[in-house]
Amino acid sequence: MSADVISSFALRLAEQLRRGGESFSEDSVFGNAARELFAIQFHHNPVLRTWCQARGVHPESILDWRDIPALPTDAFKEEAVSCIPVTDRTAQFHSSGTTTQQPSRHFHRPESLDLYADSVQAAFALRLGPHSRTFRLVCLTPPPNQVPHSSLVHMFQILGRQSRYRETTYFGNVTSSGWTVDHVRLEEFLHGQSEPILLGGTAFNYVNWLDVQPTHPVHLPSGSVVLETGGYKGRSRELPRPELIRLLTAHLGVRQSSILTEYGMSELSSQAYSIENAASVSDDTPQLRFPPWVRTRVVSPETGREVPSGTVGILQIFDLANVWSTLALQTADLARSRGREFQLLGRASRSEPRGCSLMSLENP
Amino acid sequence: MSLPNLFLADLPPEAALTPHLIQEACVAIKRNRANWLLQRSTQELVELLAYAAERWLQPEFSLRRLALTLAPSETGFGVTTLSRGLDSFFKHLTVENLNALLIQDLGDSRRLDEFTAPPGELRQGRLAHARGPELLVHFAAGNLPNSALFSLALGVLTKSAQFVKLSRSGSVIPRLWAHTLADLEPKLGSCLELATWAGGHNSLESMLLSQAECVTVHGSNETVASLASRIPAGCRLVPYGHRLSFGFIGADQLSTYQSQKTATRAATDVTAWNQLGCLSPHLFYVEERGIVSPEGWADQLAQALAERERAEPRGELPVDVAAELAGRRSLHELRGARHAATREEAVTVPRGAFFDGPQGATRVWASPESTAWTVVYEDDPRFRVSCLNRFVYVKPCRDLADALRQAEVVRGQVSTVGTAVSESRLVELAPQLARWGVSRICPLGRMQEPPPGWRHDGRPALADLVTWTDWETV
Repeated sequence: MSADVISSFALRLAEQLRRGGESFSEDSVFGNAARELFAIQFHHNPVLRTWCQARGVHPESILDWRDIPALPTDAFKEEAVSCIPVTDRTAQFHSSGTTTQQPSRHFHRPESLDLYADSVQAAFALRLGPHSRTFRLVCLTPPPNQVPHSSLVHMFQILGRQSRYRETTYFGNVTSSGWTVDHVRLEEFLHGQSEPILLGGTAFNYVNWLDVQPTHPVHLPSGSVVLETGGYKGRSRELPRPELIRLLTAHLGVRQSSILTEYGMSELSSQAYSIENAASVSDDTPQLRFPPWVRTRVVSPETGREVPSGTVGILQIFDLANVWSTLALQTADLARSRGREFQLLGRASRSEPRGCSLMSLENP
Repeated sequence: MSLPNLFLADLPPEAALTPHLIQEACVAIKRNRANWLLQRSTQELVELLAYAAERWLQPEFSLRRLALTLAPSETGFGVTTLSRGLDSFFKHLTVENLNALLIQDLGDSRRLDEFTAPPGELRQGRLAHARGPELLVHFAAGNLPNSALFSLALGVLTKSAQFVKLSRSGSVIPRLWAHTLADLEPKLGSCLELATWAGGHNSLESMLLSQAECVTVHGSNETVASLASRIPAGCRLVPYGHRLSFGFIGADQLSTYQSQKTATRAATDVTAWNQLGCLSPHLFYVEERGIVSPEGWADQLAQALAERERAEPRGELPVDVAAELAGRRSLHELRGARHAATREEAVTVPRGAFFDGPQGATRVWASPESTAWTVVYEDDPRFRVSCLNRFVYVKPCRDLADALRQAEVVRGQVSTVGTAVSESRLVELAPQLARWGVSRICPLGRMQEPPPGWRHDGRPALADLVTWTDWETV
């Protein structure tokens, strides 16, 4: 099997994504594509192949996409989970995570980044509809040149490039104490805006900003959307989600329904968004949904088998846009599914079991 | 059956505690202690404790049965694991052992009753009288009940009023132990108070600390540090922070016949209290020169754990803890696959496919269709902290000195080393372990069964609670 089959698969997928990607809503269409991609990755990704062989799995034995073995995301921390030859790896995204641990590394090349852009744009268009290109992109994160390994910032860059303004404006900086927000410059900038803005940032960006923001609120132009993503990872004070929503609505003058939660990770090439349901936004845990070329399963940590809808288990993600790495991933996130939607309910326990505290010594 | 409301911990969970309530309770138990407990002889208290422990060893004893009914859902331990843990604790709480503890820690078993001294001190014309704290406060850990049970017993010996702050996830068994003492002697019960609240409740804890003369803390290093910073001057802190343990298997115990027995004893240590105690082994270092290899021994340990699971199932875990076990397991399985591939496929695996991970082979043995037990063998000898709940590492070493070099990262935090080596070798190895800083050495299979005389974390547990009056008679 030559490496061309990878490119050929990617081109066909990109074609579908540019048409909106909704054809994958059909389970058989998704399933056929997933099985085809798994067979390709089995041959071109040595890490995936050894993992599958150790479990006695071969592409020919996979009749249903649900049986494709999901590689733990931790594998990206210590292996090059990639079909891209060493010399062709031109970019890589890293997980943020904690500082003591090796980050996940997801390798890319120009072709995979093109597909990434198609996926980002298509998922965003599906979520926000015809207005998806009308926003001005304003981000609380540092710019890409300061954080070249952030898949999140890369995503904001793509969304900006594809907007009618063709750019993204960044107000974050990398400092010795982590990511900070230049709130003076940001607030000045926001006061001068009249067209809808897409304000992007991580939850901890918002908390850091709004913790020091002056008492008078910044009113975003009407039609603006606030996109928040990611956990706090210890970089700001912890804030329960309803509290974060309250801060955002109070300080930015947006309605709850204009606050969007995004869920993504460096190991993926697509993102999930909170669904359009005003009620769900005020919940502690929003309902999230991936675009049709991504499926999820929630499995029991004990048996590895899918749990009934509504039961908490480990989230597995099957992302067709992950063409050059592995489409099937097992995360460390706990989730509960309801149809195509899911809620995140924390992570696999990393706290020391009941009363002990030596995990910094872990060298997994 | 339901328990009478003797203690604050018996109140329904919605009952609100206030600093005033805590203060009143402390005043009451101190008064009762002065009126009754202080007048008892140590022997009377030793006999009472031993009698209470004897009752807990009887399968039909009502409070033990209640513990086995209520505790599984609160603690997650299976009934068999609980019974074994309780038996191994209470069987050591005898008149003989408690007297031995008094003599060991205080020099004479009547030191808490009157001025007295062992012969050496007498010859110097010296006598001494030990006094327990007026109010002894314990902050108990939530992982397993033993330390709370034993702390209460020590406080009875020191004739102290005692207030035990229990964790919500581990309150049932210590409560039932206190009820046992109160049933046998209601006046003793009136010198005890138990309560639960979420840790870090400042106003309650400050009030409690202000009333205490001595405080023991069992828990994470963070819990210990947080309480230590709030202890008022004049109050003594006896901290028991985080500790961990491991096992060492000598090559002389790795004959085909012996190694099987050693593996069974190791399984006893891994399954006791589901490995959640500070005395439970995170890993076993196995010497390389035996007839059975370290990897072969790991296989035997896996078989022993599988067998133990049938007799003494681990029980269910919260989903996040099970997910952690599953995640760790799959990571090691991946490493195992990687090693096998680089060995067999050396030519076809392209450069750059694998980063530098642990060196050498990894092999995983795991309970099917569950996370009930896991054995991970790694050639890489570096010490590794387990995620517990019957998840254990096996690693090779050249000898004990080699194992201790690998364990350097946890030096100073090691409680127990469970050993399987011949007696003659142990005579050489024990001083090595002592110099390195291990606080307890015991035979494999008994890691979770320290005798009452055990010097907890290397400190005399009873002696650390008392203050002395020395009398130079001549």
